[in-house]
Amino acid sequence: MISQLLSILVLGAMISAVYALIAIGFTMIFGVGGVLNLAHGALIMIGAFAYLGLTSSAGALSLPPVVGFVLAVAITAGASYVLYAGLVTYIEDNIVITFLATVVVALLLTELIIIQFGAEPSQLIPVVPGSIYLEAVGTRIRYVELVAFIVSWIAIGLLWYYVTKTDEGRSILATSMSTRGAELTGVDLGTVKSRTWLIAGAFAGIAGVFIGTLQSTTPEMWLNPLALAFIIVVIGGIGSIKGSVVAAYLIGYLETASIEILGPSFQGVLSLIVLAAVLLVLPHGLYGRELVHE
Amino acid sequence: MSSATDRLSTVTGRLDQSLQPLADGFNRLVGDYVGELNGLQFALVFGSLAAVLTAPFWGTFGLVRAMTVAAIWAIFAMSWDIQSGYTGYISFGHSVLSGAAAYTTAMLVHNVDPELSMAITIPVSILAALVVGLLIALPSLRLSGPYFSLITFVAVLIFYRLIPSFSAYTGGETGIQSVEVFTYDPIARYYYMIVPMLVIAVVLTVIARSNIGLILVSIRENEAAVNAAGIDATKFKIFSFALSSIPMGIGGVLLVHFTGGVDPTTFIVVDRSIEMIAMAVLGGMSSILGPLGGAFFLIVLRDYILTDLAGLSSPARWTIFWGLVLAVLVFVREGLFRKLWHTLERYGGGQP
Repeated sequence: MISQLLSILVLGAMISAVYALIAIGFTMIFGVGGVLNLAHGALIMIGAFAYLGLTSSAGALSLPPVVGFVLAVAITAGASYVLYAGLVTYIEDNIVITFLATVVVALLLTELIIIQFGAEPSQLIPVVPGSIYLEAVGTRIRYVELVAFIVSWIAIGLLWYYVTKTDEGRSILATSMSTRGAELTGVDLGTVKSRTWLIAGAFAGIAGVFIGTLQSTTPEMWLNPLALAFIIVVIGGIGSIKGSVVAAYLIGYLETASIEILGPSFQGVLSLIVLAAVLLVLPHGLYGRELVHE
Repeated sequence: MSSATDRLSTVTGRLDQSLQPLADGFNRLVGDYVGELNGLQFALVFGSLAAVLTAPFWGTFGLVRAMTVAAIWAIFAMSWDIQSGYTGYISFGHSVLSGAAAYTTAMLVHNVDPELSMAITIPVSILAALVVGLLIALPSLRLSGPYFSLITFVAVLIFYRLIPSFSAYTGGETGIQSVEVFTYDPIARYYYMIVPMLVIAVVLTVIARSNIGLILVSIRENEAAVNAAGIDATKFKIFSFALSSIPMGIGGVLLVHFTGGVDPTTFIVVDRSIEMIAMAVLGGMSSILGPLGGAFFLIVLRDYILTDLAGLSSPARWTIFWGLVLAVLVFVREGLFRKLWHTLERYGGGQP
């Protein structure tokens, strides 16, 4: 019993960090632009498949995993920026059109990936191979899980520093609090939005490589992370970074616990119940504000 | 107006004039209920109606089959439209409603009695869609804007995940494939789908043009104002969801008796909801007939033109499908058929 609890504690901490990355990107884009980016899952998929294309031994490049990882993150950040500058910026005045268009982008990308990589699940080479058996906990941890945990927390820490300590970052925070107020203090909205999409894309890229390695890399893989991002962000409060991290851990632990205790067929059911409960009691989430966008 | 348009409208205006008496007759009879037409619009509506009704006599097998499927999807797109298009509360959960009806039919046949008559399964299934619709609507309509859409999206995921959990009754991933089809005769089958579709189209158009439709549009435009006018917006939002659940249920029943079975991929997954939305948006949201046109346009394109005529593979077809939808979303926001409609209004000479 104790060992089961410990293993839930360890495994949950690992995966929750990645979930937090997914949710933060999603929530930042919503906070700054009021855009619900339903293509966020697709960005995660781009990250995983970019990594696959760059490092796969069958591919033309077969780069070393670490280089592939860095490039995949850069590619995803770029894709995210292209999505913003090439599409969202023209339609973001209409929220309905925006989320329909972004979800269509995700579906379009699914088909393109099927054409390029096939519909079968692909296997990613772990960034760091091998695993370690934790005697005290009684569970086996792959090094890549450990790396995912560390990289995720470094990314979150850097973001935290960026948005609270630097002027550039603070202008992002300011914009998400009040677009008008930020503009009046001389913040250039276009630049802030571009930066936000780049950061969200990079986070999605990191998450994509790890989700692809730890779970699955298929053309349908965008749906689950997107649903997770929804659930986490709604529970944490749309637009709140802190809320995302807290809710990511809540959901991550719930999922790990339900898999360990109830079995894999109940993955997600508990989180959905929590989601429903939170919505009924706290419609704006744990740390949400009323949506003020003028 | 540019000179090209001027020259064209002297021709089309004359055409419009010659059709005007027919349109006037129509307007006098039912114009109060469904809106007035000019001559060209009259020609479009009744021309398409005639084409749809006579399709088995001039169309090939593949085309008629595509149009049979399109009729069912037109029902879905119109039902989605009366709720999401009119009130502006975009639902991603409509595939659950049709899925609920289809699964009820299949599960009754599979688990209760294989000989159960359609006179029982059909009403029960439609009722099931209504119940599930209210189940989704009551909690989620407490939320507004993006939150509502997110929750309906999650509702699809819940139902999708529940199906394998109860695989003894639902058949899990492979579903239940023992439902009786209406008929194997492609022509009779076509009319089994087209007639309900036309009835639903007329009923929904009348409702949309009535005061109820006006209230639903007002909710989309300014919900606070609706409440301030002493109308309970929440009541109407729930009503619109219920109103949309019933034809969704009918469509679900038609689809299950068309395919002869249910499975999560054909009925529940969120892609299906997005397809309905795509059809409605491509045709023109909040116009009922626009989504109908959008459904026919997209399904005939995908299942007939790209499959039978061009012979493309499935991913290539879907790429074109979604690419087209994206292009319409960005460049023709109001929808192709609404644009066509307004063009006809402009080219008609009779009305100012």
